[in-house]
Amino acid sequence: MAAAPDESLPLAHETKALRRGRGKFLSARRRESIWFYIIISPWLIGLLLLLAGPMLYSIYLSFTDWNLFDAPSWIGLDNYIRLFTRDRTFGYALTNTFVYTFLYVPLNMVLSLAIAYLLNKSLPGMRIFRTAIYLPYVVPVVATTMVFRWVFAPESGLLNSFLALFGIDGPAWLLNPGWVKIALVIMSLWGVGSSVVFLLAGMQGIPVELYEAASIDGATEHHRFFRITLPMLSPVIFFNMIMNIIASLQTFTQVYILNLDPNTPSNAIIMIIPYLFDNAFRFNKMGYASAIAWVLFIIIFAFTLLVIRSSSAWVFYESEMKR
Amino acid sequence: MNRRVSLAEALSTYAILLAIGVAVLAPFLLMISVSLASDSTTVKMTFTLLPREFEFNNYARAFNSPTIDLGRHILNSLFIVAGSIIGQVLVSSFVAYGFARFNAPGKNVLFLILLGTMMIPGAVTLIPQFALYRSLGWLGTYAPLIVPNFFGGAFNIFLIRQFITRLPAELDEAAKMDGVGPIGIFWHIIFPLIRPITVAVAILTFQFNWSWFLEPLIYLQDAEKMPLAVAVRTMSATTSAGATPMWNLVMVASMLLTLPMLIVFFFGQKYVFEANISGGSAAIK
Repeated sequence: MAAAPDESLPLAHETKALRRGRGKFLSARRRESIWFYIIISPWLIGLLLLLAGPMLYSIYLSFTDWNLFDAPSWIGLDNYIRLFTRDRTFGYALTNTFVYTFLYVPLNMVLSLAIAYLLNKSLPGMRIFRTAIYLPYVVPVVATTMVFRWVFAPESGLLNSFLALFGIDGPAWLLNPGWVKIALVIMSLWGVGSSVVFLLAGMQGIPVELYEAASIDGATEHHRFFRITLPMLSPVIFFNMIMNIIASLQTFTQVYILNLDPNTPSNAIIMIIPYLFDNAFRFNKMGYASAIAWVLFIIIFAFTLLVIRSSSAWVFYESEMKR
Repeated sequence: MNRRVSLAEALSTYAILLAIGVAVLAPFLLMISVSLASDSTTVKMTFTLLPREFEFNNYARAFNSPTIDLGRHILNSLFIVAGSIIGQVLVSSFVAYGFARFNAPGKNVLFLILLGTMMIPGAVTLIPQFALYRSLGWLGTYAPLIVPNFFGGAFNIFLIRQFITRLPAELDEAAKMDGVGPIGIFWHIIFPLIRPITVAVAILTFQFNWSWFLEPLIYLQDAEKMPLAVAVRTMSATTSAGATPMWNLVMVASMLLTLPMLIVFFFGQKYVFEANISGGSAAIK
């Protein structure tokens, strides 16, 4: 505090120097700062109005009972308590979402790695295969769901007709509570191509010298894959894994559509977001649905954190070599 | 991996890839086959993977259906897509230009916030946003679907920023010497140079909005205002318990929903692969 007046009262010649040199410099910097905030203002306004504000409001709503028409009434933790103690359907939604995610994410990882490994061989025609395998990923989920009803049809369906060739009597996939989640996993695996494309790009970025050095040392193909390709790809595998977990936990469209069919085993297919949707937009239970949203947020946050924390044990970054 | 591949290995690789390729393409073939099936096959539900009937007339009938106006739904989708693309391309590039070329206190924190917002699940803001648009009187209009794009999108801003930082700063400096202001530099120098990435953003925005389902469903409310993706779902709904939907016409609509995505993918894959991979790998590092 004592030093402050001294600084604010510089000697006369210093003030002049400031005005000429540093003063001008400072104002240029300030101008740049002002321009920065002007230019990013659309995003900043959107951040406050469409994200931060709504998030805070949503936390508040999750502690209320609100039917959209009357004023929200504060009920404390009731929504959360009911979700975990008295709401059976929410229990099904949680279980189904987890089962689906734990089946889909590892299968996607193994399958995408296997396909990328094959596509990375220097053989003619690989581009065509790559494009074909990527195609399902661009099909809108609504269209995918429409077609897969016929892939999974009990008797004349594509999958069961194929299984019948081997004498296997396939289940009634979408109508059977035990198989409906497996059917959803198969449907999602149809879009494995997007993970494949990232892995392929990663494989093409691995320095050839690593493989050459390994060959000189007499490494087998098995060694090359598990000792070079896999560790070098681990950042891409990590990226795919996080993206797939986050997306799987938020599955909506296919479940919502299938669930509208009265023949669908509802308790075996309901997931978190479809259940949130039902509560909010069918039953007008906005407070309750907000609580579901925050439970989902915490689940996603926890999973992401867990994967990131575990990553130091299994993800290998090239920059680590330099240390 | 520039390793020589033996003949046996090449043959087994092709065999496996061919099997995967057939499995991947079969649902597409089934979609075509069902869309060309006759009404009697539809009622009996005896569809085959390879089309046995070729009722191209189904495509005309789908447009003249008394219950659903497919042409209208396609226009609805195009309207949402066009508005979103204009917003995303213009605003996201402008904001990205700010992050790439200007320094200011708080910039790094804001950039971290920008990256962080990508991880927030949309479900958390769905209900309060619905309440917001409801109080603005926007329900039943396209505004809740289009206007938010004019605030930019975090992933797009990030992608474009990466691209701009790779452009030489001398270009801006030279224009600044000539007395061009920050907005002039963006519009006359940066914006034309970032074409490859704005094309990628336009394609990604198209793909997202053309297939968009949840938000249109809750905001538009009127059946006739719905985009094609929602209309396809409506067509597949049964009006009464015993009735079967006209699956051949549903599949015609599914084809119309899928084809533009495939066409845009074929023409744009070069841009999108590059953008996705640079975005993805930047996220990895």
